[in-house]
Amino acid sequence: MKWLNLFKVNLKREFILLKRYLPNTISLVLTFYLIFLGMFFGIHVVGNPETAEVNIQYALVNYIFWFLAMSVMNGIGYTVQSEVQLGTLEQIYMSPLGAWRIFLTRIISSTITDGLIIVAMLFVSMLTANTWLNLDFISILPALLFTIISMFGVSYMIAGMAIIYKQIGSFLQISQFILLGLTFVPVSVFPLLELAPAMKGVDMVRQVMIHGFSLSDFTLFDYSSLILNAIVYFVLGVIVYLRCERTAMIKGVLGQH
Amino acid sequence: MEHVIEIHDVKKSYKKRGSKEKIQAVKGISFNVKKGEIVGLLGPNGAGKTTLIKMMCGLLVPDSGQIFINGVNNQKNRLRALEHISVVLEGNRNLYWRLTVKENLEYFAGNRGFSKGQIQEKMERLLQLFSLKEKENEIVNSLSRGMQQKVAIFVALLANTDVIFLDEPTLGLDIETSYEIRDLLKKIAKEEQKTIILSTHDMPVVQDVCERAIIVNHGKVVVDDQVENLLQLFESKAYLFTLNRSLTQKQTLLLEDQFVVNISSDDAGKTLLEVNIQKGEDLYKIIEILEEEQTPIEKIDRTIIDFEQVFLHIVKGEKPVEMAQSV
Repeated sequence: MKWLNLFKVNLKREFILLKRYLPNTISLVLTFYLIFLGMFFGIHVVGNPETAEVNIQYALVNYIFWFLAMSVMNGIGYTVQSEVQLGTLEQIYMSPLGAWRIFLTRIISSTITDGLIIVAMLFVSMLTANTWLNLDFISILPALLFTIISMFGVSYMIAGMAIIYKQIGSFLQISQFILLGLTFVPVSVFPLLELAPAMKGVDMVRQVMIHGFSLSDFTLFDYSSLILNAIVYFVLGVIVYLRCERTAMIKGVLGQH
Repeated sequence: MEHVIEIHDVKKSYKKRGSKEKIQAVKGISFNVKKGEIVGLLGPNGAGKTTLIKMMCGLLVPDSGQIFINGVNNQKNRLRALEHISVVLEGNRNLYWRLTVKENLEYFAGNRGFSKGQIQEKMERLLQLFSLKEKENEIVNSLSRGMQQKVAIFVALLANTDVIFLDEPTLGLDIETSYEIRDLLKKIAKEEQKTIILSTHDMPVVQDVCERAIIVNHGKVVVDDQVENLLQLFESKAYLFTLNRSLTQKQTLLLEDQFVVNISSDDAGKTLLEVNIQKGEDLYKIIEILEEEQTPIEKIDRTIIDFEQVFLHIVKGEKPVEMAQSV
């Protein structure tokens, strides 16, 4: 019950701030759409007209995953950084439920709100491009869920850095390009990518949305790899975060700017 | 009576920025706090008060020593210890400025696992007590500094903990708001039966609100006693002699040599001699010096001393004999 109450207030806070910072929300939506338009017209102008539709589909799927990965993987680190700037981080640390759990409910909440925006924008983009991806939610959701869990792990690792070093803005900017590279390269081209966080899941969702795969088209190895990737990165992320938290408490830099 | 806070020989040092040198902020502090006590944690800037509060809150790990909150070791079971404490930290906003008063209250209570229903009744009662009912739907950013501080204390209170730490709750407030916060703290202590640890430079607040004062200087406890005792101890040591004639040079030298004195004159031209004495027999020595040259004594008064003067005496290293023994 305590967990549910914790989740409820953090989800509510996310929606309130989304509404209260409306210009920021609108600019997020517009940025998403404008970048998509840039890619769409780019493919039409310089790309091969025969493969244009498949290329657009690839670009669209990779793009939404890049957007999602950026928001999730940088999410907790960004939250820590902004809590320090707001002067509320130490209050978060006064909760007997634990700061890492609060940050987990925060990242779940922001993933829900960002997810809703991304889905809405996906439909607008498909409408604009007049190309329709296979949105078989039953096949997409399991892979997507474990992909996001794996991303949470990375998010905790980045947050660990933020809790010690505070100013990680430059790192977050660089990570955007790393994520761009990772999400746009298919696992079939570079199989070792499967070991990278979330990449197996991204590849599976790509197969569903572009090539029309269903749940039964994936092997047991695919599912094992997907689940193991999620568990390993999530557990590792939380461990790294808790170690960094302890270091910050020993050094006395927890709430410092 | 049971101790709600137990601190055993706690030490903490920090690395100086840009060097390997360490500064010892807390040098082996021990004390206990009983349930329901209101304790003033005092000391000059850099004395180690905030470090101590942060260690008690589990926000800072001590180098050595142990801290128990309601019998729970706050290093071994940090989260369980946090069930018993809430804090309003100095220099922090403690609140989300883009949320309303009510949204902040509900958010921080939810962060402790409370549902809206569980806090509703208490929230309504406290909104009245804090005179914040009309402001409940206002964005915190639009409130005055005093109001924001009240909301931060409200959040701490809504956590329903046994212990509340308040670090400089009246800092930066105007006199009127400072009085309001002081009244509020008294009401909280009376009506909510909480153990309050109050760190402040505002001595009238300590004199008015606290039962006990722990004075920290250079990372050590220099005094730990009831506020009333401290006032009495220093009051009984300060005397004001009103003399009908000015002192001779010999008398002045003798007095200045043996005591801390302040010689002045009043509007009626009488000589005023303020003396701080260490022992009762010193009083007779002073009278002897005055009588030797037949200086007429009109009256002898005990000086009224406030807690600010007591604090200054202590941090300057002056300690009555009885108090030195009590530490």
